[in-house]
Amino acid sequence: MAELSIGGYTFREVEPRRYVVSVDPGRLRELAELIVREESYLSTISAVDLPKENAIELNYVFWSTKHRVALIVKTRVSRERPVVPTIVDIVPGALGGELEAYDLLGIVFEGNTRLRRGFLVPEDLVSKGIYPLRKDAGV
Amino acid sequence: MAVVEIPIGPQHPALHEPIMLRVRAEGEEVVEVAVNTGYNHRGIEKLMERNSWVRGMYLAGRVCGICNAVHTQVYVQGVEKLMGVEPPPRANYIRTIVMELERIHSHMLISAVMAEIVGFDTLFMLIMRDRERVMYLKELVTGNRVHADIHILGGVKRDIDEVRRDRILSELRVIEERLKYYRKVFEEDYTLLKRLAEVGRIRKSEALSHCLVGPTLRGSGVKSDVRFDDPYAAYSEIPFDVVVRDEGDSWARMVVRLEEALVSVGIVRYALEHLPQGPAVPKAFPRAAKVGEVVSRVEAPRGELIYHIVSTGGGNPYRVKIRTPSFLNIINTEFTYLGHRLADVPVIFSSYDPCISCTERVLVVDEKKGVRRYVSLRELARWGTT
Amino acid sequence: MGVSVIRYSPWIMHFNAGACNGCDIEVLAALTPFFDPERLGVRLAPNPRHADIILVTGALNKKAAERLRRLYEQTPSPKYVIACGACAISGGVFTDSYPVISRADRVVPVDVYVPGCPPRPEAILYGIKKLLDRVARGG
Repeated sequence: MAELSIGGYTFREVEPRRYVVSVDPGRLRELAELIVREESYLSTISAVDLPKENAIELNYVFWSTKHRVALIVKTRVSRERPVVPTIVDIVPGALGGELEAYDLLGIVFEGNTRLRRGFLVPEDLVSKGIYPLRKDAGV
Repeated sequence: MAVVEIPIGPQHPALHEPIMLRVRAEGEEVVEVAVNTGYNHRGIEKLMERNSWVRGMYLAGRVCGICNAVHTQVYVQGVEKLMGVEPPPRANYIRTIVMELERIHSHMLISAVMAEIVGFDTLFMLIMRDRERVMYLKELVTGNRVHADIHILGGVKRDIDEVRRDRILSELRVIEERLKYYRKVFEEDYTLLKRLAEVGRIRKSEALSHCLVGPTLRGSGVKSDVRFDDPYAAYSEIPFDVVVRDEGDSWARMVVRLEEALVSVGIVRYALEHLPQGPAVPKAFPRAAKVGEVVSRVEAPRGELIYHIVSTGGGNPYRVKIRTPSFLNIINTEFTYLGHRLADVPVIFSSYDPCISCTERVLVVDEKKGVRRYVSLRELARWGTT
Repeated sequence: MGVSVIRYSPWIMHFNAGACNGCDIEVLAALTPFFDPERLGVRLAPNPRHADIILVTGALNKKAAERLRRLYEQTPSPKYVIACGACAISGGVFTDSYPVISRADRVVPVDVYVPGCPPRPEAILYGIKKLLDRVARGG
């Protein structure tokens, strides 16, 4: 399988034009800065709840218009304290993705001042403190 | 579409999928815009987890009525990868034809809406009349005007026969001629140039850092098209051009769309003329997927559409993450309104094709008088002309 | 006189209450000269205070339902409601999802149901005509 190296991080090709790397949440900002230099934009932030492993997996999917490949950054946080640093100041376009992940799965992006509940979720769930896309939400 | 469509308040029927723009103005000049969301969340991602792989296909189509075939395509191609199914070439060509017909009608729709926003009602009516021809073709191929639902895991549901093929080819000649005329109108008409040119300019670097996609990105000079960069369905076998404009203003975005509609006519014609022989409709399809995950991308009429599908095996998806192009193009473009006049706000907003101009009301706050009042976007657009 | 007077020029207000836009583009198509609704005197009202008929599409998101209730109160009597499309009638594919109420008639009284996903423009006009006939008979 092919590999792609960006600033010391090695991305592994999992299928055609999809390159994946797994990092600690603390490395996110550094990696985002490196990826942005490759003429990339952030496609989406996809959060997957994994109750069995007591973790939430975050997938940051970038598309590099220079390399014409998707660069996928995977990171994990615990379900009790799902906190990652924001990348809104590096990639302004991350705003929508962060607001959505906060409202639907309760992931706190430290440093993003615009996070609020009720971005998408109706009032009745917000008042009960339910994050609908968590597996134990019961909705 | 998907999780970001937000209807509030009474609206003009030309302008669906409403969202709220909170505009602050100093006199005529816009000084702050905040996009306010929250009214069309339908919980589709959660519904998908509860339903089987096949049912998810219909849910995906109902994320957005305007671009339903691309939503089904992106879901189906992802699930096919997880199931290890390969659709036959003829099915891929038919899928491509349906998706391109959809692109033509979607681009015509936003051109019509834009004409209406700037007060050019005749052009609106004319484009809507010719758009009915495309809707007729969609019905001819799929059996339905709006929701195509032609995909099935491992193929398509209906084949195209000789009679239908000739009918589409002859109708395409009329559509192409009309599209060329509308492109000329958008390029040369004095009213449209006055209202669209130099309005809402986005530089290349800004377009990338704010993660804009589709015609909005290509209107700012970035050559990025999923059909070309990351080919799916039959696009790797069909020759076509990626339309790019360097101006970066509202006008460039509209002209990119009309050019693209013409390119799409070419793609449909090529696909019909080179339709491979063989079966297109599968006799059976699998019900369970293997363990794995897939990031599936297609080029919707409004830009890159991406699904992240996670499977833990069995009959249901574990997680489906949907990100629609309008989600990026609307939420991340607050900065482009600044410094423009109030009457330009609806024009800039519509130029992002917010899944048919998802507008309804703008809250205008006059800083000097401290007065707040609601006006419709249509009313607002007329301020510039009276 | 009385209610039957509105049958000559009923003004319609279209409200998208969480629809997928499928119904909405068909409503839009139904109101252009190709299908020519003005021969029935039908015109679009920009404002609920001018409207006689409210045409509801979509599966009624909880937040949007609040708006619909308010719009209905703002519309002057006599007023009628048309539920357009499978979602407004029964919730369609979105039935039982957490953010939706599923049925327009749980929020406002509905006079005419137009089935389809989405209904054809002809079907929408037929629904309007049915309503007008009923109004003409005094019901």
